[in-house]
Amino acid sequence: MKRSTYQNKYQILRYILIFLILAILVVVLGSRKNFGPLQYAQLSLDGLRGGAIYALIAMGFVIVFNVTGIINFAQGAFVTLGAMFTVTFYNLNAPLPKSLHLLLSVIAAILVTTCIGVLVERLTIYPARKSSPLTLIIITVGVFITIQGLSLLVWGADAYVFPAFTTLEMSDRVFRWLGMVIKAQSFWIWGIMVLVLVCIAYFFNFTLLGRAMRACAVNRLGARLVGISPGRMSLVSFGIAAAVGAIGGIVVAPIIRPSYDMGLSLGLKGFVAAIMGGLVSTPGAVLGGLLLGFLENVAAGVTKAGLKDIFAFILLILTLLFRPQGLLGVRKTTVETDGAH
Amino acid sequence: MSRKIHHLVVLLTIAALIVAACGQATPVATEAPSPTDTQAPPPPVETQAPPTPTEAPPEPTPTEEMIGETYKIGFAPAITGPGASLGAPEHETGQMLSEQLNAQGGVVGPDGVRHPVEILIFDTETNPDVAVSVVRRMIEEENVQVVVAGTTTGISMAIVPIITEAQIPYISMASSGAIVKDPDTGVVREWAFKTAQDNFASAQWQALYLTAQGYTQVCHLSENSGYGADTLAQAKRAFEPAGIQIVYEDSFERTGTEFPQVASVQTSGCQAVVVGAIPPASSNVSIALRDALPDLPIVHGHGTCNQDHIDLMGAAVAEGMVSPCGKVMVSDTLPDDDPQKDVLVKYVDDYTAFTGKPVNTFGGHGWDALMLAVTAVASLPDGLDLAAQRAAIRDFLETGVKDWPGISGVYNLSPEDHFSLGFDSLTFVKVENGAWVFFPEDQW
Repeated sequence: MKRSTYQNKYQILRYILIFLILAILVVVLGSRKNFGPLQYAQLSLDGLRGGAIYALIAMGFVIVFNVTGIINFAQGAFVTLGAMFTVTFYNLNAPLPKSLHLLLSVIAAILVTTCIGVLVERLTIYPARKSSPLTLIIITVGVFITIQGLSLLVWGADAYVFPAFTTLEMSDRVFRWLGMVIKAQSFWIWGIMVLVLVCIAYFFNFTLLGRAMRACAVNRLGARLVGISPGRMSLVSFGIAAAVGAIGGIVVAPIIRPSYDMGLSLGLKGFVAAIMGGLVSTPGAVLGGLLLGFLENVAAGVTKAGLKDIFAFILLILTLLFRPQGLLGVRKTTVETDGAH
Repeated sequence: MSRKIHHLVVLLTIAALIVAACGQATPVATEAPSPTDTQAPPPPVETQAPPTPTEAPPEPTPTEEMIGETYKIGFAPAITGPGASLGAPEHETGQMLSEQLNAQGGVVGPDGVRHPVEILIFDTETNPDVAVSVVRRMIEEENVQVVVAGTTTGISMAIVPIITEAQIPYISMASSGAIVKDPDTGVVREWAFKTAQDNFASAQWQALYLTAQGYTQVCHLSENSGYGADTLAQAKRAFEPAGIQIVYEDSFERTGTEFPQVASVQTSGCQAVVVGAIPPASSNVSIALRDALPDLPIVHGHGTCNQDHIDLMGAAVAEGMVSPCGKVMVSDTLPDDDPQKDVLVKYVDDYTAFTGKPVNTFGGHGWDALMLAVTAVASLPDGLDLAAQRAAIRDFLETGVKDWPGISGVYNLSPEDHFSLGFDSLTFVKVENGAWVFFPEDQW
């Protein structure tokens, strides 16, 4: 116990040192481009917005991993489906006010995507549930490719236009404050991310189903002994992950132009964020997402912006090398010895 | 029992997957004649053609018209994938020409022999691997006489080695000069031709416009693609002699959600931004720039000359953005003595009637490439073998295309120049009320 406290102190100091070195590096690089506080603030804000989207997607990875122990690479496909179904439903002619129409489209799209998530689990994961996790992960990659291919058939290769939530028009309201620019959609993204985080925390801590899922995550065999069906929990986890992924796709849709292949890069970034968060905790995933968005945007801003994606994957490698348990995680070996006792 | 159902479902899924995968690779041509049609000896299209020999022996034609072999043109634009906003109009143009050729009954060779012409349509999916495999298939299995493929520079560059090795004439619809001439050695690529204006011509127009506005310091943002990289290279070539300095250059991803480039644009002090991208990337970056810097002028390249570019960012955001574009965008404002006028007006009428959509320059690149191919196969005498036909088409493209009015410009191909269009084949346009309009130099 004592030893770990020392270690913690030592580690915290090390992190502060690393952070300071990075900050100095950023300022030095930024000064070559005449960056002032305004630019850093803008880059951080933009980064945190992107990070909130990664966080939403990362939560889906974490929920599935917690319950089933597999990394669901089909998460990116749910992101695409959420956005594309909303666009499709919103483009249908309906004698409704725009806001209600959008709300109904969003709800319908989330429901449809959830059903697809459930179907994916039943049709591809459940039949192979006795296989190794690696097999299951490869199955999810296959599911992703299948859904992306089907999306291409259904929606074609065109980029679609999605209305901003505030104006219900293509162009969003833009707030200008102290020279910074913030789109109204950014607040929607942050707000919905917090809402989803709270809902998930409530679900896993205060509902029977949620607690059963946690039990399943902690000890599969034990959960089964007290009458929890891991198969059913796996089904529910895919449903929730699909819904959360769809929400991620829907909130980001107004700031990009959604197309059938939008889920690929977003899904990969969400995966990086989930790894940074340690893959087992939803708050960790959110922290990982925000940090990823922030770091990659600032790093890209002060160096070469074309390298933005590379920074994300450098972060992934660094996390896996130096902190595989994630930002908030505990070393996995300790957990295993605890379990053995 | 439930296991059986599972097996069934899994089998069905696999079957669906296989079908989907194969569907991608097979020609997308349900409307266009499918390649299998060629096995049937008499081409069915001939029945609608002008007087067939059996019906019309007493016509004044002294020699009886003979039906020769079917010429095949392999056509592979980017119907899907990131290049689709450019490839789709090319595809539509291909379908339209295919119908017109069928209605005419093909082409008549110099020796009076009539040959049906088939346009075999494939999709490159804007993916170099797919492009290479469909082009190989055209050459080796379909035995086409000439290949027309490559909507974007990256795809075209992937195809060039294949057609060079197979010694088959190839016409690209993409812009980079590197497709027809090795940029390092300056050697003309023997088998490659192209129909889209160079980025250098586009950059020259941009330089002219920037100079007219008195801008000497500009930023350049390019999409992370072959096209984007080439716009930057050509901008450097064209801007320096004009005294325009690129103070900040960077690239961006088509799929980006944030644009950290904007902060650098802000602090670099440039007077205008030149964007080298195609929609939707060009639209996304424009929105990010407009949000942060509403007054900064934005100049696009000729990869944006379609309606998608405007529609994807909204007319309000696009208002006032300028770009060099081909004459087809403003064909109704051209003087009657313009050598391209007739071709342009007919193409615009045909295209809008066929698709119901406004015209754009990319369909024009497709028209030029396909019609050059059709003109070339029409020059073939009957009875050559495939290798000789391919060589003859290449020679014809080099020597036989003089003052040939197309959609993108008037072509004068030669052994030294496999493209021949320059600065004057472009014109300058501006977005006004959500549409591209002519923006003549005297209004700058």
